Amino acid sequence: MSIASKAAGVEFRNVSRRYGNTTAVDDVSFTIEAGNLVTLLGPSGCGKTTTLRMIAGLEMASSGTILIGGKDVTRLPATDRNVTMVFQSYALFPHMTVADNVAYGLVVSGVRKRDAAAKATEGLELVGLGGYGQRLPSELSGGQQQRVAVARALVLEPEVLLFDEPLSNLDAKLRRKMRDDIRELQQKLGLTSVYVTHDQEEALAVSDRIIVMNKSVIAQTGTPDELYRRPKNRFVADFIGGANLIDGELVGRSGGTATVALGRLTLSVPDPGLPAGEVLLAIRPNAIRLRTGSADSAGDGIPVTVRKATYLGSHMEYGLTSEFGDLFVVDPNVASPVPAGATALATFTGDGIAAVAR
Amino acid sequence: MKSAANWIKSAGFGLGALAAGAVFAVTPAPAKAQGTLTVLCGVQEEWCKAIAVAFEKKSGIAVAMSRKSAGEALAQIRAEAANPKTDVWWGGPGDPHLQAAEEGLTLAYESPQYKELQPWAQSQYKQSQGRSIGIYAGALGFTYNTELLGKRKIQAPKCWADLLRPEFKDEIQVANPNASGTAYTALATLVQIFGEEKAFDYLKKLNENVNQYTKSGSAPAAAVARSETLVGIIFMHDGINQKINGFPVDVSAPCEGTGYEIGSVSIIKGSKNLDAAKAFYEFSLSPEGQATGAETKQFQMPSNRKAAVPPEAPNLEEIRLIDYNFQKYGTAEERKRLLSRWDAEIKSVAR
Amino acid sequence: MRPRSAIWLALGWVGFALLPWFAGSGTQPALAPPSPGPAGSALIDGLTNGRWWLLPIALPLLLALAVTALPGLRARRPAVLLASGAFGLAWITVQGFAIGLDGWASGWLGALFGPLALGQGGFGAGAALTALSFLFLMTNGFAGLGFMKGDRFTAGAIGLVLAAIAAFVFLPVGYVLSGAGDTGSGGFSAAALGARLAAPDIWRLSCLTEAKSCGVVWNSVFLAVMTGIATTLLGLAFALVAVRTGFRAKKLLRVLTVLPIITPPFVISLAVILLFGRNGTVTLAMSDWFGLPASRWIYGLPGVLLTQTLAFTPISFLVMIGVVQGIGPSLEEAAQTLRASRWITFRTVTWPLMRPGVANAFLISFIESLADFGNPLILGGNFEVLSTKIYFAVVGAQNDPGRAAALGIILLCLCLGAFWVQRQWLGKKSYATVGGKGDNGIPSQLPRGIKIAAYATALPWAAFTFVLYGLILFGGFTENWGRNNSLTLRHYLAAFDLSWGPGGLIWSGRAWGSLFTTIEVAALSAPLTAAVGLLTAYLLVRQSFKGRGAFEFLTMLSFAIPGTVIGISYILAFNQPPIELTGTITILIICFVFRNMPVSIRAGVAAMSQIDRSLDECSLTLGAGSVQTIRRVILPLLRPAIVASLVYSFVRAITSISAVIFLVSPKYELATAYIVGRVEQGDFGLAIAYSSALIVLMSVVIALIQFAVGERRIGRRAATPVTLQEKPV
Repeated sequence: MSIASKAAGVEFRNVSRRYGNTTAVDDVSFTIEAGNLVTLLGPSGCGKTTTLRMIAGLEMASSGTILIGGKDVTRLPATDRNVTMVFQSYALFPHMTVADNVAYGLVVSGVRKRDAAAKATEGLELVGLGGYGQRLPSELSGGQQQRVAVARALVLEPEVLLFDEPLSNLDAKLRRKMRDDIRELQQKLGLTSVYVTHDQEEALAVSDRIIVMNKSVIAQTGTPDELYRRPKNRFVADFIGGANLIDGELVGRSGGTATVALGRLTLSVPDPGLPAGEVLLAIRPNAIRLRTGSADSAGDGIPVTVRKATYLGSHMEYGLTSEFGDLFVVDPNVASPVPAGATALATFTGDGIAAVAR
Repeated sequence: MKSAANWIKSAGFGLGALAAGAVFAVTPAPAKAQGTLTVLCGVQEEWCKAIAVAFEKKSGIAVAMSRKSAGEALAQIRAEAANPKTDVWWGGPGDPHLQAAEEGLTLAYESPQYKELQPWAQSQYKQSQGRSIGIYAGALGFTYNTELLGKRKIQAPKCWADLLRPEFKDEIQVANPNASGTAYTALATLVQIFGEEKAFDYLKKLNENVNQYTKSGSAPAAAVARSETLVGIIFMHDGINQKINGFPVDVSAPCEGTGYEIGSVSIIKGSKNLDAAKAFYEFSLSPEGQATGAETKQFQMPSNRKAAVPPEAPNLEEIRLIDYNFQKYGTAEERKRLLSRWDAEIKSVAR
Repeated sequence: MRPRSAIWLALGWVGFALLPWFAGSGTQPALAPPSPGPAGSALIDGLTNGRWWLLPIALPLLLALAVTALPGLRARRPAVLLASGAFGLAWITVQGFAIGLDGWASGWLGALFGPLALGQGGFGAGAALTALSFLFLMTNGFAGLGFMKGDRFTAGAIGLVLAAIAAFVFLPVGYVLSGAGDTGSGGFSAAALGARLAAPDIWRLSCLTEAKSCGVVWNSVFLAVMTGIATTLLGLAFALVAVRTGFRAKKLLRVLTVLPIITPPFVISLAVILLFGRNGTVTLAMSDWFGLPASRWIYGLPGVLLTQTLAFTPISFLVMIGVVQGIGPSLEEAAQTLRASRWITFRTVTWPLMRPGVANAFLISFIESLADFGNPLILGGNFEVLSTKIYFAVVGAQNDPGRAAALGIILLCLCLGAFWVQRQWLGKKSYATVGGKGDNGIPSQLPRGIKIAAYATALPWAAFTFVLYGLILFGGFTENWGRNNSLTLRHYLAAFDLSWGPGGLIWSGRAWGSLFTTIEVAALSAPLTAAVGLLTAYLLVRQSFKGRGAFEFLTMLSFAIPGTVIGISYILAFNQPPIELTGTITILIICFVFRNMPVSIRAGVAAMSQIDRSLDECSLTLGAGSVQTIRRVILPLLRPAIVASLVYSFVRAITSISAVIFLVSPKYELATAYIVGRVEQGDFGLAIAYSSALIVLMSVVIALIQFAVGERRIGRRAATPVTLQEKPV
């Protein structure tokens, strides 16, 4: 016996979820391929957790259709769906041992006790907790509890494995390790996983694809790279990776790139598909470089004043004042930092700038 | 994804248990033994138990007996009128029995022992159109604490008028006629002796001396026995009962005359154990059944002329009994009128 | 495919076609011709005895069978189940109420449909099972249509709880309301209702202006206010002593809180009479030593106030200790670091935070006092309150149930009003300061003045309480308290004598009958109460559905209905078909289940709120259904709440008096009703002996339940303390 995968795809067709007058999820459609890890990313209250719970069957869609593995499960309660979930709080049953926790889903599904126990042991070994079976959850560390929760969800060989902000209760270092472990496990077993987080860095690190949600609707869907480099709107640009948003004007396009005017400068950006005219430029903090020197070479940059300079070991962070507004810059050049109060020239690297609608 | 067996297992645990509880809850439990005779008993609890045991021994019929005050018993019989759960109402003053007869709650029945009974017992039968009959009689009187009287050097009360004496201020207890048949008998007695207006004048003055209107008719006897009060107006056998129990009390009968109760028995109309009910009725009229009273230190006058009269019983011959008009004062109308007046003129006066 | 619907459908058929439809078929003379054979089911009775109105019940059963058995109709199954369940339930109810023992239940029905030769008895096992089946078919249909997240268990549970509340809370209360307007001849008139509600002896204020007594409402309210103030102050003093001083004997205070729960409500009155009656120990001593004349001051307002204060102070203490403990010490430490003195800290931080608790404690005592029956009955003297007045309106010589109903309505309104105020207070002024974060501060000590005041109030009172209980236990062994204090077992023998007869052991003591019934009733009602209460708590905490707020209010309603009113309403409602329960043990059990359920619900809600919701959601995603989730996850974690509600409902079933005094019957007499009868007759020895036996019995049972259910095994996390909450008697 071994833990296999029965990975299945998930599809939402025009799904909405309303509570009285408020709409938590508004006419959302997406498809998740089998074997992928897809992240639902967004600020709190954007509807990502509600979406996840609708996949689990813990919430019922007010309208629309939900398919798992091509089967309509819209009206099916959680119990009858082959979907498991790792909860933010881990939700380990405090009165059961670790082994009983992991075997729980098997036992209630009618698997014989001995088989369930064997599979639970296997599941625990998979997450590196062999030999911890007889402990109580309260006797484990936070990271270990997290692993038990994952093992418990895995042994049922679910069609879809859901993660609801699974790392938010861990400290920064552990979080990084756990997210790598989860990703590794998911890829090893070929699981379909849906992962909810509000941490964009975590999302970028683990996902095959990311669904960015804002205000109950999907803001953009894509691979981490697509989202970072070609955000479709102001929200995504700002939420993923952070960006300096300044006004510009789209003046022309040719072969997949567009030309945007910023003051006297012209910059090339990936073509946003917007009509010519006023646009918003999203400039990544690491797409700006600072140069001290004479103003005569101002042709490729804009003059700025350094308001604040912070030394962070691996890089510098600057707060700048310019005629286009305040700018935030991350500069890897720590060898010759620009002191606060100095004037400098800000230039733009070719990458890391996108144009979105105003 | 779940097997049917598993389904049933889980359903069997939760809903099944609940449903079983619910089904049980709305299904009346079957009577413990078919043919158990249900009796409401209006005398002292010891006597209730004794006559039930004696009857069970003699007839082999199981008896479920519950002591209820006259009011409680009547309330219960009335509430159950559509579908009686009670077979016999045994004991307690004749008034409420007459009331039940008047309302058609009880069953007319002619006993072969009728001729052996005292005239007052027969009169209860006649007045109720055969729906009730006397089993004992008890005269109304006073009970007093001899120890306290001696300590305070007060003469024992012999007449109704004595109760108005200032030395009895706050020392008299009598039941509330709204709650107790005993006290209603006292009220009706006074009205019959003095006339209604004078009786209420008397009661107003008596009110000055009464420290408490108790809820139970025999409570004043217990209070006198425990020295909680000096004098109580009660049925004399209740006072004697306390005396026999070793308390420093004695009883007296009022010199102006006094009323009495005819402790009665009635069969409930719609009784589901009619034969057993009749057997109990007969047993309670027989000398053997009536002897259970004295055996448990209850000293009412038995109604069967052949029954032994306990020596301790107040001799009805020596007491000035008035010609109590059970007919008039037993009707619901007259009762309600007198009680309302008592409520308005006596009870509402703060003390 | 849908076994649960199929099972319920099958049970419905069993109830309809196999089980006896009526209760006690054949024993009622009105039920002629009797149902034939052992079956006597609705089907047989309807076909052979001419009770044609039972036959339409087959219709919904057939419909449900069709959609369950025929795969072609699967898509319509939920809607059809819903409709047939609803129709079946409605038909059973309507015919049950329309046709009584002797034909049509109301004259106008006869006028409308012509005379009916036959009547029918009350619902029996068959009717109950079929009705239940219809109920669950209906709720399964609801769930099938996607309501309640498609959870059949939740839908069924809500349906069951609602149906039970409708039958055993609303129906009886409805009877009371209509009874208050009864004209005496069976009709209803608003004028009669108005006259009864406005009667001068209820409302008059003549005690203010002339030498007459005031209306009974003012007596009740005045007493309740006084009791509320006294118990709140004492409760506060106890709580401060327990939490904020170095007082050592805190265990003793715990014992104090348990005492009133295991004490029949009038027992304290007895002890008070033995101490302060005119022949009481204290009274005689005062008279001997100081020449104070012995008086009867104890009978009336002072006595009732004293006993109620004794009885309800521990409840107030329980409320207050929660509040005082809940004030995070760091708040006070913060105030002190801001240079407030101890006294200023108490005045500006501690006291304002305690205020809602104080109001809550006051209101609970207020309601308790209004509803108390036993103490005013025994000690009231000439001081009348609503609860006793209701009792005597029924059993008194005037015998006027309509008046009792009217007084009941007034009492109900007062209690509901106070209850409503309490809920408003709680809802808006809850300063919960216990967060998820541990509070590491040390509770600050009280200012000196308040500390002295608290000690001075609490300690003598505690001593007094223990003396009273000592007296109760001791009094049962004396020959005749106050007159002859020589020791004897006479009273215990009278109550609990055993003897050997030819047939073996004879329970010859006078108390055995009522004791056995009492234990049987308590033992049967306790698990049912806990089950219904915790199920309701689960629905309230864990399920969100439309009308949840209203649902919660309904379940709490019986909490606010005074016992006397419940008693009256049950005897009015359940003496005739369709639900005929008077004189049975069932009516006692049901009465207790619905009276004690709210406390069970509260305990369950409190405990369940502390169990992270994700635990049951997780269980659901792991493939366990609602039932398995409850059984495997929630119940094990709810052990303290289960203990609390089992103990509470068991004990309350033993100690209640007001509700059951009308419901006991010769066959099923309860201990408290028996004891009250003994007290009324002046037989104190037996009453006290019996009461002490009950107190000891209950202490043992509490210990046993605690032992049997055991502790939660959850490692380092401490078990959640669940406090018992009292309720109106």
